[in-house]
Amino acid sequence: MRVLTLDVNGDRLETAAPDHWTLLEVLRYKLGLTGSKQGCDKGDCGACTVLVDGKPVLACLTLAAEAVGSKVTTIEGLRPAHLEGGGTGVDPVQDAFDRCGALQCGFCQPGMMLTARALLNENPNPDRTEIQKALSGNLCRCTGYTQILEAVETAIAESTESEPPRPAWTQDHPHVREDAL
Amino acid sequence: MLRLPKFRLEEPTTVEGATALMAEHGEDAMVVAGGTDLWPNMKHGLFEPKVVVSLKRVEAMRGITVDEDGSLRIGATTTLAEMAQSAPVQASAPALAQAASLVAGPQLRTMGTAGGNVMLDTRCQWYNQTHFWRKSLGYCLKKDGTVCHVVAGGRKCVAAASNDTAPTLMSLGATLAFASADGIREVPVGELWKADGIWNKKAERSEILTEIRVPKQAAGHRGAYGKLRDRGSIDYPLFGCAVRMDLGEDGAVAGADLVCVALVARPLRIKRVEELLVGKTPGTEAFDSAVQEVADLAYAQAKPMDNIPGDAEYRRELVPVYVRRTLQAAARGEGPVHHV
Amino acid sequence: MAARDIHGIEAPWTEFKVVGKSHRKIDGMAKATGEAVYADDIQLPGMLHAKTLRSPHAHAKIVSIDTSKAEALPGVHAVITGKDMPIQYGVIPWTPDETALAVDKVRFIGDEVAAVAAIDEDTANAALELIEVVYEELHAYMDPRESLERDEPQIHPNRKNNNVSKHVELEFGDVDGARKASDVVVEGHYEFHGSTHTAIEPHCAVAKVSPEGVLTIWSATQISHYVHRALARVLEWEPQKIRVIQPCIGGAFGGKSDPFSLEFCVAKLSQLTGRPVKMLWTREEVFYAHRGRHPMSLDYTTSATKDGKITGVDAKILIDGGSYSSFGLVTTYYSGQLLTGPYDFPSYRYDSTRVFTNKPPCGPKRGHGSVQPRFAFECQLDEVAEKLGMDPIEIRRKNFHGEHTKTVNGQRITSSGFMECLDKVEKGSGWTERRGKLPFGRGLGVAGSMYISGTNYPIYPNEMPQAGIQLKVDRSGLVTVFSGANDIGQGSNSVVRYIVAEELGMDAADVRVIAADSDLCPVDLGAYSSRVTFMVGNATIDAARKLRKKIVTALAEKWEVPEARVRLIEGRAIDLEDTERSIPSREAFEIAEARFDTLGSTGAYNTPTLGGDYRGGTIGASPAYSFTAHIVEVDVDEETGRITVPKVWCAHDCGRALNPRLVAGQIEGSVYMGIAETLLEDHKVNRFGLHSGPSLLDYRIPTAIDTPEIEAYIVESLDPEGPYGAKEAGEGPLHSAIPALANAVYDAVGIRLRELPFTPAKVLKALREKREQESKAGGAAAAMDRHLGTH
Repeated sequence: MRVLTLDVNGDRLETAAPDHWTLLEVLRYKLGLTGSKQGCDKGDCGACTVLVDGKPVLACLTLAAEAVGSKVTTIEGLRPAHLEGGGTGVDPVQDAFDRCGALQCGFCQPGMMLTARALLNENPNPDRTEIQKALSGNLCRCTGYTQILEAVETAIAESTESEPPRPAWTQDHPHVREDAL
Repeated sequence: MLRLPKFRLEEPTTVEGATALMAEHGEDAMVVAGGTDLWPNMKHGLFEPKVVVSLKRVEAMRGITVDEDGSLRIGATTTLAEMAQSAPVQASAPALAQAASLVAGPQLRTMGTAGGNVMLDTRCQWYNQTHFWRKSLGYCLKKDGTVCHVVAGGRKCVAAASNDTAPTLMSLGATLAFASADGIREVPVGELWKADGIWNKKAERSEILTEIRVPKQAAGHRGAYGKLRDRGSIDYPLFGCAVRMDLGEDGAVAGADLVCVALVARPLRIKRVEELLVGKTPGTEAFDSAVQEVADLAYAQAKPMDNIPGDAEYRRELVPVYVRRTLQAAARGEGPVHHV
Repeated sequence: MAARDIHGIEAPWTEFKVVGKSHRKIDGMAKATGEAVYADDIQLPGMLHAKTLRSPHAHAKIVSIDTSKAEALPGVHAVITGKDMPIQYGVIPWTPDETALAVDKVRFIGDEVAAVAAIDEDTANAALELIEVVYEELHAYMDPRESLERDEPQIHPNRKNNNVSKHVELEFGDVDGARKASDVVVEGHYEFHGSTHTAIEPHCAVAKVSPEGVLTIWSATQISHYVHRALARVLEWEPQKIRVIQPCIGGAFGGKSDPFSLEFCVAKLSQLTGRPVKMLWTREEVFYAHRGRHPMSLDYTTSATKDGKITGVDAKILIDGGSYSSFGLVTTYYSGQLLTGPYDFPSYRYDSTRVFTNKPPCGPKRGHGSVQPRFAFECQLDEVAEKLGMDPIEIRRKNFHGEHTKTVNGQRITSSGFMECLDKVEKGSGWTERRGKLPFGRGLGVAGSMYISGTNYPIYPNEMPQAGIQLKVDRSGLVTVFSGANDIGQGSNSVVRYIVAEELGMDAADVRVIAADSDLCPVDLGAYSSRVTFMVGNATIDAARKLRKKIVTALAEKWEVPEARVRLIEGRAIDLEDTERSIPSREAFEIAEARFDTLGSTGAYNTPTLGGDYRGGTIGASPAYSFTAHIVEVDVDEETGRITVPKVWCAHDCGRALNPRLVAGQIEGSVYMGIAETLLEDHKVNRFGLHSGPSLLDYRIPTAIDTPEIEAYIVESLDPEGPYGAKEAGEGPLHSAIPALANAVYDAVGIRLRELPFTPAKVLKALREKREQESKAGGAAAAMDRHLGTH
């Protein structure tokens, strides 16, 4: 058991955990940050993706002790960071995922959104192939990735003031751009 | 959740500190860098070290530098992503950058390291499983058992070397620096391997790979890596091949090498490649037919087994296809050869 | 009264204000920010962690179990085995052959044997290692053909028909006669492999038992109601002492439909220890729980006239059920019952046999039971078209059974937009201009299909509604909906919100939904058979209209105007003829509450009597059917055998799209899953009876870079039975993706692939065989030329 001082979402948090506990276990079961999910146990699915010093890594294959000294960002950190940066609502990636239907069961999406956020931080205007490659370590079983890609492209379109994607089914449905709720 | 077994974590900040810990704990200790290989293996009950020595805080082991003579020094804990994106690596050892860019998926490349990929444990469908699964099977030759399920009656473990960068480093003539309490020793990467799937390296488990040195390549150096796998991401290779092709000033091949992986316990250098290719100029019929001869050679020499998941017969059938495509890609200065 | 009798396809007023628009989901923001609570996110004070001991043998008798060493381990609070809960259960009441933990024998590697509750997972795992089980191994069945032929040992003893789980043989019309009279006959053998759901969230359940003896269980289930019933049966508790709550669920796809061992175990362990207990399965354990797609061996014969009219279809199907019955009775029927559209079959026969094997149990996976026969038949239809020189889309149009008709097996068809589906994919894919003109290796294939929007078979016989809704109106202006339905990510809670907002003219944000909590919500039968939007939607309209009536009546009285002048719209109540008279919803609710007392309503839905008049005729009898057409484009690499799918066009008739974006999401997810199981996924058991790779590394589901571009089209054939005309969207659009891909491969390289999955190795083998045949034929032709030349 060791005392760990972790920087999570900008907070310095002290907690104690045995050496063999992963960052995912400490985030979820010690710190109550259950937004990071566990899907495969061992690095195969990406659901536990968090940002360590801005880069997407798998919290299930990172020891909690190894994260000491790094800045950890979980899904719970995106909205507060956005508000602190002077924004309103939620992070544009979160908003686009919600608006575009990317959140079906939502289980893989905290990891997916963090990967997308890291991508856009590094490259504000990636093309579709670049987005697919960047997201290719995050498995989703609901969406067929289509609305996820639309969401990322919608977030890009908003930040670059360009045209958002218009999937085929929207051609017949005039109401799809209305977001009343 | 699948749990890690209990251990004590040590986090030295210097190479000397790390080697001292390894010497102190002997067989009870293992080193970890990125953890993308060791942690899943430990979750599977394949290793139960009492002490794990993490190299993450050894600053001196990370980063890529170019020496005055043009050779590359790659710190062992440099991540695969850094290596794949490194301008010097892309320029002077393109096949290495390509291979690194195709290891696993994006997060695993951000975590996994250059040294870790070299030191990757061999893989087998009867081995990379949970303790429950292996116990139900009755274990195997590589771990806890006496029977090989790949080769009936086999006495020697044939788990496959599955590291994408290893054959590339061999084709580039890289050397490895290993540190231990006894000091530093340098090993040409081609001499590291032995044909034993249980531990396929001529190095003590307590030795720490600290640096990879890639010598300056010939002026007309070309290189490419080809990787067969089911998905466009995440998966280990079902077959991999690294090509070095040095073109002379006349545009003809002056030197060449071909090393394959995901076959047997060690990366496999295909014999007689250079003699077939030297003197042939890419774009000519003579070159194309030499490439085909090399592909046939590879087919004859490379024999995938039922060690890793995937149809072994199919993998064998694909050996000449990937070899040919990768040789042609190298000749054109392109690559990697990968289905997406 | 069942809602079906009351409302139709129209908006409550002249036009829809909420329905039909792509609103956000009710739980979207909670999911986007990580606030949504899934089962494993629940932590209760003093909670213990439980683990399961599993069988290492595929088939064995349990001679003895000694748990004493495990019980003695510090930190262990309870150990249970099969004898603690010996009562059998099964999701289908006629086939209860499962127990919470194995009693007497184990039937597959991974079968549950014992469970431990301890202070943490590490201690529970250590305790499992200390449980001593003595087994006597039995012959294990891995091949369903062997199960059919061999009597001993029986996997489930004391059954009349040995290792047969279910046999159904039905004939409609004269199949043999039709065949004799036909011009074209296509025969073929098809193999459909197993695949599994792979929801990214592993199964998890948490239970606590109060001192008064009330069990509360949170479980990642898609059918709370059957879990509730099964818990009552197995634990021998009165059902009113059990509260089942489904928290947010991380995907299901049919894989969380059965009651599972972990639900009984956490309940029992909590009862024994007096503490909350959680069990979270590892990914490996989820593969053992399985309940995925049944492997099927299918022999099909399709006969037709020379102008392309189908005259008969004859099917013989062997179904590998794995070790337990699960939904197998329904699967066996579905393998035959759901094929009889969108085409007219003058005659049809199927003979389906489900057998037990010593493998993880199969069950319902998206497109339950009907995906496999659809593959075989749609491939045959392509062959018929080829023999007749017909365009594959034309032959499908030619055989369309029309709207408001009856199938050969007695299913009532109401609306059908199948022809429009064909038109959309034909146009979108550029079929007419491109097909046949693509380079070798590139091809297009088409297929069609039909699926149910729930059925009138409620699994356990009863006269009560299949779906129920309660509404509570608060004078704050809030409407709370209590829905028994399981939202599994498809958006059923969102749909409920949209409907209530539409009917009560509210701002949708002021409608909250509390769902899948058996203490609070009326019963809904669960998220399966694509029934939720259809049935719960109807129940919601029913409840909302009753409430609307009260509000309108109260306002009309208050304003002294006819009720027809009162309209609830966009968060207000207005007098249509005196626009000055306009009050917020909140005030309207106050007026209604003053007039009628505390405001609430209930709504329900039950299907009409449906189905053929024969044993099994109600299975697959749906109040409305959805229709789908796919065109798949493939690129086949002749050297590597790899099939790449650059693009899929899928048009789906879902009736009215209550939220088009959610419908598109269901279409895209279905297409993805269909293509995935065609090309990549294989739920294999190896020669030792072990799952060949129970992990998300070895069971390969596609990543973002492996998934084709998917063009979804929504076709809305408004259905008289559905809520505002809506039908299903969650399962139908998977079916025809698979045969469309197979037909595209034929178009691309001229090989008929009949054995799934279409691995590169199989493609190379088929290409080799084709070349050999061609060279033989070419050789024969050359010989013939030479022969002729000598004369």
